[in-house]
Amino acid sequence: MRISIDWLSDFIDLDLSVEELIQMLNNIGLVVEDRQEVEGDTILEIETYANRPDTLGHLGIARELSAALQKPLKEQHWPLVEITEKTSDLIDVQVFVEDLCPRYCGLIVRDVAVGPSPEWLQKRLRAVGVKSINNVVDVTNYVLYATAQPVHAFDLAKLAGSKIIVRQAKKGELLRTLDGTDLILSPENMVIADEQKPVALAGIVGGENSAVTSETKDVFIECAYFDPLSVRQTAKKLGIQTDASYRFERGADISFPPQAAWMVASFLSEFKGKVTKGLIDVYPSPVKRRTLILRHHRIQELLGVDISSETIEKTFTALEFQVSQAQPGSWKILAPYHRVDIEREADLIEEVARFYGYDRIPALFPPLRQLEPPPSPLKKLIQKIRQTLFHYGYNEVLNFSFASEEEISLFSHHLRPVSLRNPVSSRAALMRTTLLSGLITNIIYNLNHGVEGVHLFEVGKIYFWKNELPCEQLTLGLVSTGLISEKQWSTPQESGDFFRLKGAVETLFSMLRYEPLSFAAQDHPWCEPGLALNVKYKGESVGFLGQLRADMATKYGLQQEVWIAEFNLGHLLSKQPQPFTLRHLIKYPVVIRDVSFLADKDLRYSSVQEYLQKREIPWLERFELYDRFTGSTIPPGKVSLSFRFVFRHAERTLEAEEVDSLMERVIKALIMEFNFQLREGGKIDK
Amino acid sequence: MQEIQEKINQYRLKFEEEAVRVRDRQGLEALRVQFLGRKRGYITKLIENLKHLSPEERPLMGKEINELKTYILAKLEEIKHNVVKTQKKVSHLDLTLPGRQIPLGAPHPLVKLQEEIESIFYQMGFSVEDGPEIETDYYNFEALNFPPHHPARDDWDTIYVEGREDLLLRTHTSPVQIRAMEKRKPPIRIIIPGRVYRKETPDPTHLPMFFQVEGLVVDVGITFAHLKGTLESFLRRLFSERIKIRFRPSFFPFTEPSAEVDISCLVCQGKDSRCRVCRGSGWIEILGAGMVDPQVLKNVNIDPEKFSGFAFGMGIDRTAMFVYQINDMRLFYENDLRLLRQFNRQ
Repeated sequence: MRISIDWLSDFIDLDLSVEELIQMLNNIGLVVEDRQEVEGDTILEIETYANRPDTLGHLGIARELSAALQKPLKEQHWPLVEITEKTSDLIDVQVFVEDLCPRYCGLIVRDVAVGPSPEWLQKRLRAVGVKSINNVVDVTNYVLYATAQPVHAFDLAKLAGSKIIVRQAKKGELLRTLDGTDLILSPENMVIADEQKPVALAGIVGGENSAVTSETKDVFIECAYFDPLSVRQTAKKLGIQTDASYRFERGADISFPPQAAWMVASFLSEFKGKVTKGLIDVYPSPVKRRTLILRHHRIQELLGVDISSETIEKTFTALEFQVSQAQPGSWKILAPYHRVDIEREADLIEEVARFYGYDRIPALFPPLRQLEPPPSPLKKLIQKIRQTLFHYGYNEVLNFSFASEEEISLFSHHLRPVSLRNPVSSRAALMRTTLLSGLITNIIYNLNHGVEGVHLFEVGKIYFWKNELPCEQLTLGLVSTGLISEKQWSTPQESGDFFRLKGAVETLFSMLRYEPLSFAAQDHPWCEPGLALNVKYKGESVGFLGQLRADMATKYGLQQEVWIAEFNLGHLLSKQPQPFTLRHLIKYPVVIRDVSFLADKDLRYSSVQEYLQKREIPWLERFELYDRFTGSTIPPGKVSLSFRFVFRHAERTLEAEEVDSLMERVIKALIMEFNFQLREGGKIDK
Repeated sequence: MQEIQEKINQYRLKFEEEAVRVRDRQGLEALRVQFLGRKRGYITKLIENLKHLSPEERPLMGKEINELKTYILAKLEEIKHNVVKTQKKVSHLDLTLPGRQIPLGAPHPLVKLQEEIESIFYQMGFSVEDGPEIETDYYNFEALNFPPHHPARDDWDTIYVEGREDLLLRTHTSPVQIRAMEKRKPPIRIIIPGRVYRKETPDPTHLPMFFQVEGLVVDVGITFAHLKGTLESFLRRLFSERIKIRFRPSFFPFTEPSAEVDISCLVCQGKDSRCRVCRGSGWIEILGAGMVDPQVLKNVNIDPEKFSGFAFGMGIDRTAMFVYQINDMRLFYENDLRLLRQFNRQ
């Protein structure tokens, strides 16, 4: 809301500097967001709140300042040029929808000299950013910006018959608004009509058919109170927001229409207008001022400070509330009509706090009577996941939770995506069902900015329908492409590959004690055939990793290999990990045996691994594959595999001989099971 | 005896001659073995030869031999010291070459800031709660005292779910406050960080999705003074002990009284009328807060006559923009590694 300090001075004497004024407004919650010096005036841009429609005019701001400064408002006089003709003889106002229009005031001003507004009026309108049209329209706008009461002026000659009817629109009724928009109305819309046709959309905008123009002589002035909800629904539905609708939908001052009508009439008198006698005021059920009880002790209980009765009473009186003692320690308080926000005791306490000053309330720490339950272990687990991935060189990203239709169909999923009714753009028309699309977009962005290796992860949710309920699933997504590190003199350059990603995943879940994790070669729709692993924990699939399908990568403009992985963290982390138990250290030494075999090239390592695990070889602490190669020294179709077996007895030192004979059995069994050949030079190492 | 005496002198000369030539550890060891070797060392042999002397001569020569031995031992030690020293000097390794670095991944600045905020609140006895992002109108608005069709809803531009009238993307994390209060009775002392959504066209200061953290304290006897004390402690720990903080009245449907919290501009300290961060006002709006509206407490069956509480909320993105002096919020979601990697050092 633009407020002119000049204009404010019509209502209140301000003998303080602009800086002091801004400070004072801030202190009572009227934030000055901007200030401009225009034509010798200072214009303040003040933030207003949805619950305070009274501050949408200069009078409202002046009232606040009056309370803050403890200084009365100036008295206003509205001199008129009156004629003896009675308003009610000229026009009959009939309100058919009393609940939607509880009050309707009208007045006629004859023989107005319609023309350009005088300079002072034009300047005022410029100050609040309103275009000058003609003196009559300008006066209605002036009153709106002065008092927050919307006013409308009709050309009396253009009204058919002698009736003003406030009613529901008929289905399909047409109205062309002042700005030339054609509206097709329906019964939910309230209109002002003459005896033939609608002439205005009630509380929102006037009709072109009754507009005041330079030919206009006699003017019918409308000052009414329209139901906020009705105005809002109509304005929303028809997509029109005006200064009038903005105020009516927040709640106008129901006591004010007569005064506003006289104000308009008084100004029009200055343009040779003559005002008819008697205000039409259709107000069948006058509204009473809201009565509230304020208990003194509640102020201390909620604000934490003891404020004197005198201060409290003074504040309310200055704000035009009526204050009287209800019982000892409590007041009966009548709210002024313009304060539509005051409904409960809490609202009164806020007024006390505002004018007492938030800065005078002490700052205390609330006593901790009881400890909060510990935070969910999920937090810690995610923290650990992030730390592990940082060590592996993965960088954390955050992407929007949205996805486009194309992304959803490219990353086809058995999950049913959640569509948005009013998305911000078509690229964000749905909620994402995978983190990978965003992560791959991040790869492109970084490659285009000269980064040679991009290794990223995101911990975030994916969204989908499950049994007609929206479901949100915490997910970990990983992508990796290109070099692992910048060129370094001491190490050969290494590119990320599948096994690096797999290593990160293995370490990650081992750190979380989700073991044993099993990997099964299984094609995935987003991965190259034969280049994907399904990851399972306790027999349930928790995610996959593999190489992004080349044709999908191409869709993103990527030519190089991209390694991807996605895990259902929500599901995994809801499972119990292995308990952490400390293994006691054994003081007896290990016996190590290295052995190399020639194996068939298409042998799966996992089958050897499973076989060895199942055999439960005594004293075997661990075994590992420490070398694997093919080449000129290896027969075609074969591969050399070197294993290290580490044996240890918990209670004694193992004899070399007993390990050797055990190893011989193991070797024989492996040869039998997998068609291994013991490699020359790969003999048992004694 | 003559013979032994000559040998002693001879060996001493020989030792001195050889000692000069020692360059490395191997040479040193050879020299030691040559003279002090347990089987064939010259000194060992001399001692063996003592038995051929008469009992009177023996102690005399014994003493001489011992002197030579002591001399050799001392000299060997000296040479050893020199050898080690010289060997270091002759290394040709260029230690000024850069060290081998392992590239570490970097945390996202918003997650990092969120963690910092969480950790401060943990210290103040708060717990962290979480809740759904796809919410119902009831939890996002109605329970928070936004009646249907209330103009206040216009300040929270909402994205709705297709095909379901009642579902929307939460516009704030406040619905989790309602869920928490439904779940358990006071005392409650929680914060709720998370993603929130608004129907906003992206520009430098608006995004359709961003991160927010809200807090809620409900107990007997909670006052506005407690709100001030808690938020002042939090803001001082997050930014600096030296910042100035001001509370000014504001409006939110779910709090009454409501407050907006400003901190003094860390960039210009209010001294630059053209400061881009505070636009010359000297203050940055950082938090919204207030005493929980009695209607909100009633909505979750908490008696507002018995309990009271306060709530607050702040944008993590907006705060991060201020902390890192980033003037475009969209930067946080571009995920440019050149930006992200810097946060390893923060």
